[in-house]
Amino acid sequence: MINRARACWRLGLPLALTLLLSGAPTPAPAQGGKVALNLVSWSYGVEIVRDNIAKFQQRYPGVTVNYSDFSWGTYHDAMVARFVGRTPTDVLYASDHWLQEWAAAGWIIPIDESFPQVRQYLAEYSPFVRDALTYKGRIYGTPYYADTFIFVYNADHLQRAGLTTPPSTLDELTRQAEMIKAKGIAEFPIVLGWGQQDPFSIESFTSLVFAQRNGSLFDKEFHPVFTSPGSAAEKVVTWAADALGGKKIMSPTSLQAANLDQIRALQSGAATFGIVPSYTLAVLNDPGQTQLAGKFKIALMPGETRATVGFIRFYAISAQVPRRGPDAMTAAWNFLDYFGGKVDGEYRITKRWSLDKGLGFAQTALFSDKEIRAAFGKWADVDMLQKQAQLARAKEGMTPYYGTWDVYSRAELHKAYLGQQKPADTLANMARKWEELKAKEK
Amino acid sequence: MTRERCYPYATVLPVLVVVALFTVYPLLYSVHLSVHENVLTRPHDHDFVGLQNFREVVTGYYFWRSLWSTATFAVMAVAAVALYGLGTALLLNQALLGSALLNVVVLLPWAIPTVISGIIWRWIFDGDYGVLNGLLLVTGVVNRYVPWMSQTFTARLCMVVAHVWKQGPLAAVFLVAALQVIPPALYDAAHIDGAGRWKAFRFVTLPYLKPTLGLVLIYETIVAIATFDLVYVMTGGGPADATAIIGWYAYTEIFRFLNLGHGAALALILGVMLLGLVMVYLRAFRSEDAA
Repeated sequence: MINRARACWRLGLPLALTLLLSGAPTPAPAQGGKVALNLVSWSYGVEIVRDNIAKFQQRYPGVTVNYSDFSWGTYHDAMVARFVGRTPTDVLYASDHWLQEWAAAGWIIPIDESFPQVRQYLAEYSPFVRDALTYKGRIYGTPYYADTFIFVYNADHLQRAGLTTPPSTLDELTRQAEMIKAKGIAEFPIVLGWGQQDPFSIESFTSLVFAQRNGSLFDKEFHPVFTSPGSAAEKVVTWAADALGGKKIMSPTSLQAANLDQIRALQSGAATFGIVPSYTLAVLNDPGQTQLAGKFKIALMPGETRATVGFIRFYAISAQVPRRGPDAMTAAWNFLDYFGGKVDGEYRITKRWSLDKGLGFAQTALFSDKEIRAAFGKWADVDMLQKQAQLARAKEGMTPYYGTWDVYSRAELHKAYLGQQKPADTLANMARKWEELKAKEK
Repeated sequence: MTRERCYPYATVLPVLVVVALFTVYPLLYSVHLSVHENVLTRPHDHDFVGLQNFREVVTGYYFWRSLWSTATFAVMAVAAVALYGLGTALLLNQALLGSALLNVVVLLPWAIPTVISGIIWRWIFDGDYGVLNGLLLVTGVVNRYVPWMSQTFTARLCMVVAHVWKQGPLAAVFLVAALQVIPPALYDAAHIDGAGRWKAFRFVTLPYLKPTLGLVLIYETIVAIATFDLVYVMTGGGPADATAIIGWYAYTEIFRFLNLGHGAALALILGVMLLGLVMVYLRAFRSEDAA
């Protein structure tokens, strides 16, 4: 009996200690003196990412990259869990949606403090990119891609409806959609990616706001300006509610749709008009995916100013890296510089994404690159793309609480679209929430 | 002798450690979080705030709305699961041809992870290419595709259907087991007394099923109220927060609003609510037994 008790202690105690101690995660071990970097991205072009990693490792043999990816829709939450749980994460994809939030939480670090050379690239970026990469005057990454939200239409549908030019205002959009619906070409000619789950939805909405006269959501002091009667936001919300519930020219599935659902609706010919990130036009016009390839065109965002949202997705360094020492920091910078900066004098990786996938770029000069113009020319009017990019603005109200406000606002906007409450009430609630978050931040 | 007295304690210690680590510690930590300020974007502010997080949660926009959504969902889901489980159990209890195969088939949805079944149902209900719309259109029930998940009431209904498909089989298994121990002599006696099928069910089957049915109701109420994964996969709480039930609200507070204090307070409120409901059920069944 005593022996059994002793044996139990011998087995039980180490087991309990192991369980207790195994909670602390440790960074991936360096192999053979190498620095191991843990890269986390959302799942897009994974095979290209892996190939780029292989090339990076050839250039920097002292660095190995462990790669994992999560879907775009769940990426934010997955990263929050990783940061809070201290799951080893060194370099990562980030978005201008979350820059302030993640920087304020201390999860990502400013790059230019340790690597001031990152500033050499700034002059080459579009103005909205510089704004979107900056928090409290510091630079937080190098661009993965920078893109704009564009208005797309099915030219064949317009032709069949006897329309010669795409709409230039919301009123024209309504009229054209009604004509297309009346002729039986599409039951719901407009489809938008406004699902409550999709982080793109607020950018798509903001694009329409920016395109209207006095199109703004916040002033420079972060005061909401969308509650004033007749504001651009009120115009857009009122239009959307009417298009959805009144005139029934917007697909009801818009309220559950993510970008991919929007693509399917357009590619199947079920819808005529959409608002998408510009790279999506490459997918829409891909002959391997749809018989309607080539029919989809870009037009400037409908509204008086024709402006739109420009956004940036970028490579960032997590706050775990400085704790790992200077070798890890250098490896992380080399990664950011290789993937988002210049390699042998050119933006090699950025250009590859543009050529292979049609992703936009932060560097305005790349619009003159012959290879890029030729590649983009296969699926879009490049001059029109460039024109829309020149009219792009960074999202307003970029604060650590923007993400919270965004999630709240998606549901509030749904209520107005579905006619559950007046647009003015929705906007008043959004403003109230904003002020509440702002007050707490102080 | 002392060592012998220690032996039982030593043998249960590993289990105690595991339970403490995975149950007691998280619970205590949640209590700690709920009475402190814990907003992830303000990493240096962790003041003791007493019950402020609870007050803010309860008086906030989401709480009563999500509570109402949760109650609606739970009532529909529990009733539907119980009815589905009972109907299926009665069917499986018959000596039918191929009933062994049917037993396996009925259980299959339960074996599929909730996330996978959520994705399957999301596709089935899709307003653009869902198979349900295809079937209804072909059979002439509808004349155009219905955006099931974009309307508040139908989105809730879709969630209930997916929930019943996943949870119903377990209820059926419980009830089949209970049905199989009812003495056949009782049915013979009821028939001799002139009872028809309904009366035999009402006065023989149902009283025998009551304890198991009680268990099913308690378990399914807990599962329905704590549902999170179906919302995550199918609707994301939309449209217009119509499917944002309380479990989803707690998740949103933590992972989207980054407010651990609010999330922990909400989780504790949810825990107390569930405990209260279980006690009400138990008392109700006990008093019926006593009567």
